Amino acid sequence: MNLSPRDPGGPETVTQEHLLLDATERIGRVRDGRMGVHLHLSRLKPQNRQEGYLRVAGRMLEPMVSAYRGQIFLLSNSDIIFIVSQPSALDLKDHIHRLRGLFAKDPLTNDDSGDGTDHFCTIYDLTFDYDAFVEIVKAALAAARTKARASATAELKPLDAASLSGVLEKLTMLDATPFVRRQSAISLAGGGNAQVIFQEFFVSVGDLQRAIAPDVNLLGNRWMFQHLSRVLDQRLLEAMRRLRLTKAPPAMHINLNIPSLADPAFQALDQALGEAIGLGVEMQILDVLADSRAFFEAHRHLKERGRHLVIDGLNEATLNFMDVGRTGADLYKLDWTPEMQEPHRRDSILAALRHVDPAKLLLARCDSETAIAWGIDHGLQKFQGRYVEAMLAATTMGVCDKAAACTLAQCTARHAVIAGPLRQECGNNLMLDTPPLIRTPKRKAPTP
Amino acid sequence: MSPEAQSRGTPIPSTENLLLDYIHKLERHRHGRSACRIRLSLLQPTNRREHQIRAALLTFDGLIRRLKGQVFALSNSDIVVIFKDVALDEVQAALIKLRFLFDDDPMLMREDEGHAAFVEWYVVDKDYQTLLRMAQSLVNEDIERRTQDKNRADEAAQPTQRQKAREPLTPALLAKLQTALMGADLANMMRRQAVCAMVGQAPPQPLFYELFFSIGELQETLLPNVDLGSSPWLFQELTETLDYRVLSLLNRHDDRSLSGDVSINLNVQTLLSQDFLTFDDGVKTNQRGTIVIELQKVDVFADLNAFLFARDFARERGYRICIDGVTVDSLPFIERGRLGIDLLKLAWDASLVEGKLPDGSTLADYVRKCGPSRTILCRCDAGNAIQVGQSVGITLFQGRHVEQLLAAETRLRGGYAKRRS
Repeated sequence: MNLSPRDPGGPETVTQEHLLLDATERIGRVRDGRMGVHLHLSRLKPQNRQEGYLRVAGRMLEPMVSAYRGQIFLLSNSDIIFIVSQPSALDLKDHIHRLRGLFAKDPLTNDDSGDGTDHFCTIYDLTFDYDAFVEIVKAALAAARTKARASATAELKPLDAASLSGVLEKLTMLDATPFVRRQSAISLAGGGNAQVIFQEFFVSVGDLQRAIAPDVNLLGNRWMFQHLSRVLDQRLLEAMRRLRLTKAPPAMHINLNIPSLADPAFQALDQALGEAIGLGVEMQILDVLADSRAFFEAHRHLKERGRHLVIDGLNEATLNFMDVGRTGADLYKLDWTPEMQEPHRRDSILAALRHVDPAKLLLARCDSETAIAWGIDHGLQKFQGRYVEAMLAATTMGVCDKAAACTLAQCTARHAVIAGPLRQECGNNLMLDTPPLIRTPKRKAPTP
Repeated sequence: MSPEAQSRGTPIPSTENLLLDYIHKLERHRHGRSACRIRLSLLQPTNRREHQIRAALLTFDGLIRRLKGQVFALSNSDIVVIFKDVALDEVQAALIKLRFLFDDDPMLMREDEGHAAFVEWYVVDKDYQTLLRMAQSLVNEDIERRTQDKNRADEAAQPTQRQKAREPLTPALLAKLQTALMGADLANMMRRQAVCAMVGQAPPQPLFYELFFSIGELQETLLPNVDLGSSPWLFQELTETLDYRVLSLLNRHDDRSLSGDVSINLNVQTLLSQDFLTFDDGVKTNQRGTIVIELQKVDVFADLNAFLFARDFARERGYRICIDGVTVDSLPFIERGRLGIDLLKLAWDASLVEGKLPDGSTLADYVRKCGPSRTILCRCDAGNAIQVGQSVGITLFQGRHVEQLLAAETRLRGGYAKRRS
């Protein structure tokens, strides 16, 4: 049985959809007692239908499918269709139930939109529903053909050891300044105001990729990227040394790997900022786990210097499956995703939030007003993300004497960079670097 | 570990142990038998690759089929043949074939000049004690080698320890290494180490054997001047390549390693791969419960959702899961129960003597919560590790010292057999 769901479907390739149609047509003569089951895995969230997951799902069904002399097809859109002959109803139900359990995290598995329709799975009793089944099989084949034609365009290669080697070579000579971005974090200060508490400086991986490795997905391999990020640390620290702002933010945050804290460039930055400007180091929980002893040591050192430690990149699962509070960090960054609003995630989210003091929690990646509203509803006071940037730019434009010449998008883009033409285009760099006091976003703010 | 598993803990005997057992059994049947030890270990490394050893073994196939002799392929590559004297000619013939097979090796070319012999001969009746001593020392050497390999593997996996003098692993070297590993047969780099239940003064009871590649040997063979553990992330990537090698090795049906209770080290992504599904095909349903899958803590937390998915699948198939790579410092972050994992492996560290975790809580409390029969203290190189472990309630141990105790146990059994006669 071919269980590879992602065979590239060229014109002469026999796809799973072809085989399915063949099988369906063959059983047309003896439909009695046969069942066709359509699992709509294409409706799962993208992160829940990775290739490995689908392979495993197919495997879970295999024993039953072969017990009832059937066939299973993994379609190119991630759906699974299988045909079985005179299955025990209980067995069938049990297998579908177990599969549903495997994907229980996804809203699809318990979503019935109120009308009793099961969106996860459709069962066709081929004695009666044969024609309807043929229709969906034909539709699947047609869709697969269209998709095969569309996906002929080249996809990015994932980062591997050989391509990483090339990327690192290009990085040795590179001035990272054009790729450094900054983003502000705000805190609701009370009295209807919100203020910038720090600016985070980081290397934009997307822009870097376009510039030095346009055919490689730098984020396509976790371990390779982790290794790359060690080198990016050095480039970022160098760029920070050359940083010239007209006005410094109250505090600067940078993303670093733990070993980079021992880098002389970091110590130089720490010295240069002195007591006037705060410094926070953001790190991934993975880094904390990879060498916890080094982490605790680094943390102690930061504390002695009065610097802050931030745990970055948290999600509902990390908060629920490990006690991140034991890191003793000053701030925890939870990444916003729209799924966090889904009703069936409510209990899990509330449990996750209970593990950390809300005053130390920041909602990151807020790219919409909904994100901020959700955060306020859940007792959070600190926010960061594209939406926050837009709010800050809008406020800046409200008070900037040169604002008449600019659009909001321009102002936002100029806020994000630290050097280069974008920044030079701005008529008032002081305004650009001075964090404004903004009005607290309302729970249900009217659309601007 | 469940009680069923504990009672099922049949160890996989090493060939050396099998040989020793066999020689004990021979004690009353010494007459009319001879033995020879073929010193393949003295050949050039290029002459004792897996396929060559296999070819050498094949020359004795007829002997075994006609029940005239026993052949033991030792882990140092040597072969021991014990046979009835009626088969002497047959053995001589096989040896001629074997010499022909390796006749370009300096060892064989110098044989006549008074150097160590390629074949050592024993008349079982007359040389029984010599034979017994040889077998016993082979058992000890094997254990010694295994513990050394394990320690080397641990060192390579721990970038913070030693090995500073070697040049660091770079992505370019890793790419070369991955290519080299693609077609390599790593069977002779596979090692085993027992995870044992140890209560009070009772001898260790093996529960299962961890199968792993000797990273030290891999490093020595393929990149002798490179420290494979210098970047934890590149090392992690390397382990993904090794996963596929271990699965393909275990998929070979002639491999005996999987005939008992074992644990294998895999990555979460490997559990979701076609190679694992193929491996799973070859495992008998009732055997899955005896296979433990060890996952590194960073791998588990790198993508918790993928881990949860793979965990549910693996448990559904009957495998058990152990989280590996936990240190005293990372212990407070790992809650076995919350993660829904069967076993936790904590690496011995001298600071455990104090019985305190970095957050001030006690190790004893942690073990109680984690489950005394679900916490394995590994890298126990000395007796005090076991004492400390037992004092906080741990009952499962692994490491050099445990292997030594097991070896002593084997020697004791040997001694007992001798007295019996």
